[in-house]
Amino acid sequence: MAVLGPSGCGKTTLLRLLAGFDTPTRGVIQMNGRTVANSKSVIPPEKRNIGMVFQSFALWPHMNVAEHIRFPLQHHQFVSPELKKNAGDRVKEVLDIVALGEFAERMPNELSGGQKQRVALGRAIAPKPDLLLMDEPLSSLDAELRMDMRSEIQGIHRRTGASIVYVTHDQSEALAMADRIVVMNRGAIEQAETPWMIYHQPKTEFVAHFVGKSNLVRGKWRDGTFSPDVAEALDWQDQGVSDELKQKNIFPVRPEQFDIGLDQNGVPGIISSVQFQGKEIHYTVQVSGAAWQVITDVFHRYRLGQQVFVRIKKERMRDKPIDRDISFR
Amino acid sequence: MESIQDAYSKGKGSIPERGLPSFLLKRTFPFILAFVFLLFVFLLPLYRLISLSFVSDDGLTIENYTRVLGQPATWNVFMNTLMISGGATVIAVLLGVGFAWLIAYTNVRGKRLMQMFIILPFVIPSYVTTLAWTQFLGANGLAAKWLALLPGDLKPWNLYSLSGMIFVLGLTHYPLVYFFTMSVFRKIPRELEEAARASGGSKYRIFWRMTLPLALPGIVNGGFLAFLASLDNFGIPAFLGIPAHINVLSTYIYQQIVGFGPNAFARASVLSVLLGALALLGMLVQWGLLKKFKPMETAREDKAPRYYLGKFKKRLLEYSVWAFFLVTSVMPLLSMMMTSLISAYGLDFQWKNISLKNYAFILSESPKTKQALINSFQLALVTTLAGMAVGTIFAYLHTHKPSKWMKTLEMIIGLPYALPGTVMALSMILAWMEPIPGWNPGIYGSIMILFIAYFTRFLILQVRGSMTAILQVDSSIEEAARVSGTNGWAKWRRILIPLYTPGILSGAFLVFLTALTELTVSALLYSAQSETIGVVIFGFEQAGYTTYSTAFSSFIVLLILAGFCLLYSFETIRHRRETKDHDHKNRTTRTAVWRFSGAETDRSGD
Repeated sequence: MAVLGPSGCGKTTLLRLLAGFDTPTRGVIQMNGRTVANSKSVIPPEKRNIGMVFQSFALWPHMNVAEHIRFPLQHHQFVSPELKKNAGDRVKEVLDIVALGEFAERMPNELSGGQKQRVALGRAIAPKPDLLLMDEPLSSLDAELRMDMRSEIQGIHRRTGASIVYVTHDQSEALAMADRIVVMNRGAIEQAETPWMIYHQPKTEFVAHFVGKSNLVRGKWRDGTFSPDVAEALDWQDQGVSDELKQKNIFPVRPEQFDIGLDQNGVPGIISSVQFQGKEIHYTVQVSGAAWQVITDVFHRYRLGQQVFVRIKKERMRDKPIDRDISFR
Repeated sequence: MESIQDAYSKGKGSIPERGLPSFLLKRTFPFILAFVFLLFVFLLPLYRLISLSFVSDDGLTIENYTRVLGQPATWNVFMNTLMISGGATVIAVLLGVGFAWLIAYTNVRGKRLMQMFIILPFVIPSYVTTLAWTQFLGANGLAAKWLALLPGDLKPWNLYSLSGMIFVLGLTHYPLVYFFTMSVFRKIPRELEEAARASGGSKYRIFWRMTLPLALPGIVNGGFLAFLASLDNFGIPAFLGIPAHINVLSTYIYQQIVGFGPNAFARASVLSVLLGALALLGMLVQWGLLKKFKPMETAREDKAPRYYLGKFKKRLLEYSVWAFFLVTSVMPLLSMMMTSLISAYGLDFQWKNISLKNYAFILSESPKTKQALINSFQLALVTTLAGMAVGTIFAYLHTHKPSKWMKTLEMIIGLPYALPGTVMALSMILAWMEPIPGWNPGIYGSIMILFIAYFTRFLILQVRGSMTAILQVDSSIEEAARVSGTNGWAKWRRILIPLYTPGILSGAFLVFLTALTELTVSALLYSAQSETIGVVIFGFEQAGYTTYSTAFSSFIVLLILAGFCLLYSFETIRHRRETKDHDHKNRTTRTAVWRFSGAETDRSGD
């Protein structure tokens, strides 16, 4: 599960509450039906069956890779007796999982960023915790490495079967890796659902804008059709807009759902910015009172300042997604 | 996840409180006890001092103040103190800023060795430096011999004077200014100066209009510390001023106390309150000024040179610097060692007059020196070890659970070091003669009072050292240990202690060195059986046994230098083993800089 939100939205606080480093001022945290924290008392992290990967990796500079992985095996309070007895085998096994077998004797300062990341991962999974917490684990890696590590973490998730709570501010990371996404803003949960639903049926303006980069078009909903304020004569078909946004009379349109044409059926506007991106072109179109972001293919090109018409593509997003909509518990 | 349930039952039956280390809770009581004890040890002396200054035979009064302030001698001493401290500060600022600019900005070679020479006044106690200078510029010294070669009747400068004291104090305290200015210089983004040059400013204008104003926080900080250290210093005015009958507050207070006489303690306490107030006022002004400065945006230190001097200029500067060190460090120390090797004071330094008999005397014949070595080593060791334990625990609590209480406590712990040494020593006498009215445990008059005094005075150095060490370890490092299942002994033994130790040891080393050669406090608190190294050297010098005092001082200097070499090689090995990455350079300087400046080591008072 991914916790997604802009910086300062409280996602790291949420994670630290789950870990037990912080104490809630109100409310109760339960794990498997057991209260682990309320406003008065807290089970500290060392007494929870968790593993954690820190944003800064938090490797111990004076220990080598194997020692990092052995440490929780010796001290974690939920390590099964067999695992403890065969700690040596487990260290080897974990080193294999994180592909650091050759680096067992290396010190942290002799490792690259991606290798450090894998040590931190290995240390977290070694005692086989029920819950794995990850605090923006990829944010200190460069873009290419981040892509590789995504699939490695997914692989580790499959092999270990542990639940993972994964905090990130990068929506593509969350969409790509998570079974469930919790979108947070200003300390509150905005929406918690499958990536598909978060992307295609945002329930709040914030989610629509933050995850899908949607243009929030205001207008009037009438029996499944929408007429935008800027062009009341138009009728847009419902493409799976959530009831919550319908009630607010908003139609969230992701940039790629728009198309630009010169024939007059659409919202008139003037192109105020063109950014060529290679496989697509990003336009900003100035319609009366609003600037819309539009992404089109590269086969039709428009000039800066050109008078165009923005229309909505005819797609039906109401088709059921493959991972059926199971609401977040 | 039944395991959580297990955790419950394994635990104390209820969820433990918050994330606190459990030992804190189980033993809240000892902590309260420790708190009260600290208050007692740290604040009672000051209370006694202040109250004594307001007491006379007829109860509460300000009579003591009016009497002391009514004497012209008091004002004379006051003026001397301000003049000497002020003058020394000017010299310290000029030298400190100059060297800081040279090392931070230019491409002169041999910066490492230069830094070592700059550190030297911190390492060698100021009374030894003074002794060395008196030998260098004395009637039989090297300087006199060289001047005799010149035409005209030239005599070396008389150091036993106001100007002499200002000079030696300035030379002793300029490293303080150097370190604070240096760290700011290096943080000034070079783009700022480059932008000014691109806008057409000359090098000279840029230095005055950009570099100096930007470095002002460091200069002010270092300058005030140099002023406070001069105010506090006892060794230099004691060695140079007392023979010339020029008194400053620290020596004046000392003479009141050792001279006894009627009302000696009352008079001394009034003077101490005044000196203490002066020091605290200085600190308040410094604090107020520093609050006005905006912090620099970059925290990164830029170590590459910014001014590439031409070949000729560079050579000239390098030679001048080395000449400066030769004259101000090497020559005086060499003169002192030469004196220590002649068989009788006043003889020429010739082969037939050279002997090791002074060393034989101090190392085997004199029981005093041996006892002093034992005393000082014992004092330094116990102070260091006790400080390491208490200081580190306090630093850990302070950094992990910051609160107003902790801040207040830190200020209280810092007080004995912030106050001038003579003031602190007098308040110790007053507090421990009869800690509870009517009960004299015999602490004053034994070595115990020195243990207590050193511990209270130097604890803050260890607290700061340990705090730096603890803050250098990111909190997530500790959290990673907790998530791995331990918040107890294993966390400390395997993670925290190995990571904190180098930093804690650096602080401990500073405490050890400072305590080993301390003079100010021990000069007032020693008794027949508890003389320290500083006291014995001071005693030899006052009695006119210059050959013995120089021999003992030379021995101590060699001891300290040997210790430093040992430490240096130890650190080099550790760095080579531990940090090979980019962190390396950063850390080396950080340790060095905070050890000598962040901890505000002014070698105060010696």
